[in-house]
Amino acid sequence: MSDPTDIVSCADLAIGHGRKVIMDRLSFALPAGRILAIVGPSGCGKSTLMRALGGLDAPLGGSARLLGVDLATADEPARQEILRRSGFLFQGAALFSSLTLRENIEMPMREFLRCPAKEIRQLAEYKLALVGLADAMDKLPSEISGGMAKRAGIARAMALDPRVIFLDEPSAGLDPMSSGRLDELILRLREAFGTTVVLVSHEIPSILRTADFCIYLDPETGTMGAYGPPKSFLQAGQPPKVHAFFTQARID
Amino acid sequence: MSQPPSGSPFARTEVRADGHAVVTIGGVWNLDDPLPSVVIRGDRVRVVSEGLGDFDSSLPAWLHAHGKNIREFDLSALPPRLQSLVRMAEKAAYQETGDEKPGLLEQFGTWGVESGSSWARAFEHIGHTSLGFARMLIGRAKVNWADFSLQLQTAGVDALPIVALLGFLTGLIMAYVGLIQLRQVGATVYVANLVSLAMTREMGALMTGVIACGRTSTAFASQLGSMNVSQETDALRALGIQPVEYLALPRILAVTLMVPLLAVFATFVGVFGGMVVACAGDLSIEQYLTQAVRAISFKSFLVGVIKSVAFGFIAAWAGCYRGSVAKRSALGVGEAATSAAVLGITLIVVADALFAVIFNLFNL
Ligand SMILES: Nc1ncnc2c1ncn2[C@@H]1O[C@H](COP(=O)(O)OP(=O)(O)O)[C@@H](O)[C@H]1O
Ligand SMILES: [Mg+2]
Repeated sequence: MSDPTDIVSCADLAIGHGRKVIMDRLSFALPAGRILAIVGPSGCGKSTLMRALGGLDAPLGGSARLLGVDLATADEPARQEILRRSGFLFQGAALFSSLTLRENIEMPMREFLRCPAKEIRQLAEYKLALVGLADAMDKLPSEISGGMAKRAGIARAMALDPRVIFLDEPSAGLDPMSSGRLDELILRLREAFGTTVVLVSHEIPSILRTADFCIYLDPETGTMGAYGPPKSFLQAGQPPKVHAFFTQARID
Repeated sequence: MSQPPSGSPFARTEVRADGHAVVTIGGVWNLDDPLPSVVIRGDRVRVVSEGLGDFDSSLPAWLHAHGKNIREFDLSALPPRLQSLVRMAEKAAYQETGDEKPGLLEQFGTWGVESGSSWARAFEHIGHTSLGFARMLIGRAKVNWADFSLQLQTAGVDALPIVALLGFLTGLIMAYVGLIQLRQVGATVYVANLVSLAMTREMGALMTGVIACGRTSTAFASQLGSMNVSQETDALRALGIQPVEYLALPRILAVTLMVPLLAVFATFVGVFGGMVVACAGDLSIEQYLTQAVRAISFKSFLVGVIKSVAFGFIAAWAGCYRGSVAKRSALGVGEAATSAAVLGITLIVVADALFAVIFNLFNL
């Protein structure tokens, strides 16, 4: 089932912390330019799965491929090349606390791009403007709210025009209208650059609007409860738990 | 006239008779290539494309930057996807609900699970550090040089007062204790030899190393530990940057460079401290200084410097190592700082003992 053009894929993947497996038997593949939403109750392992897919943690079993490469076995230069082509928004935003927002976005650009400082500045300002932070560029992470930090984290994840971007709860802390704008931004990025997106979200309407595929992690069985287009999760015939999660839009 | 869509990016402006400015853009726009620079005049500007090839975010960023202060920036002649990318940046205004920060418990709940094989990890960390150093030498490592210069200042220059004070007192104490013994055999003049030799070979490096553990190891452990807590090190890794190279290398280099300098400084101050006691009654200043200079050989000086290089490395490494394996909680950062100082001081004393044996073997 692994097609070399798949951007993100995993086969019989087991994830967890230390030696403790929290989810296993995960297999799916995401073609280029598609948007995948990971859903499930709090603490079920969504962030952990994202880290494994993004190549930040080695799998506890099975394999995960990012841009066609298995990062657990790839050599260091290949690994870094792949990581450079992917962006990651952490659940806690993880901004560099000693740098201003602008410097946070400029940091990867300075490290990886060869263009002059002025262009880097323009790029950083543009990306911060995309997430509506044009007026907060010179603030430190400690001076902004949680939702703003999230958005700055998105701008940093987009800094190098990644081919795939991982967003862990990007809309947490945003009101429905702003989160709608964020959906639009994600769709536009995909449309303009063919960016592949993997995101964790609790907002069913937003998932229905943006995602092509959705994966439901079921903590009771310790594996994926369903994988498919989110609209299909609303129909009858799905595992009752999945159906309930989607139709009741239980937000934890 | 039309540009092949593979050319480098270009932009040119012309002003029409009716006062409209027209900006023509084209070529292939790539983050890595130099971008055209133009000055756009007028407050009504129309942008058109000609032979526009592939572009990444450098083009919307360029348009965003150039259109910012123009009242009417007409993009309607551009491809729709480009238009929307520029517009998104203009309109984006986000409202927030209450601050929903992830609860501490949710974030750090059970993150303390960690295997006990801490020695294996320590050696692994040393391995990564040396590998990073080798990669730095061949120019492959991404090192934060701003941190390097900052640490030269904070771990080096800023430590001068405390190093001076403790070095002075060490020399003073040694002279005092030495005199009590030497007076009994009537050889008080040798107090100068005692103090200067001990300061050069031993105490200068040791005191500075211990001070570095107290000031610098703990600082590094808490800096790196708290970057661990806020996932900043993860963010670095997600960018393909090795935290060891980016954060630890500059710190270790700076401290390994500064501690020997501080140790030499401490040695001189210590010899001076001894002089204050010795010359308070027993010796004249000339006597003391002649004896002191005679006692310090180049060999002893070298021994002191070699030791202090090692101690500097140990102190910095202990801090970086402890910080990088710190548990992800406020408590974990505190523990990291404590254990960094303990580890650093222990290793320094052990290393000092080893040095004593080795130098003895080689007759240094
Ligand atoms: N670093 C860690 N070490 C050990 N356990 C962890 C760590 N991070 C998370 N966990 C545990 O793993 C489980 C899944 O966490 P997570 O992936 O963050 O859940 P979600 O993102 O779905 O809310 C939780 O039970 C959590 O307590
Ligand atoms: Mg999570």
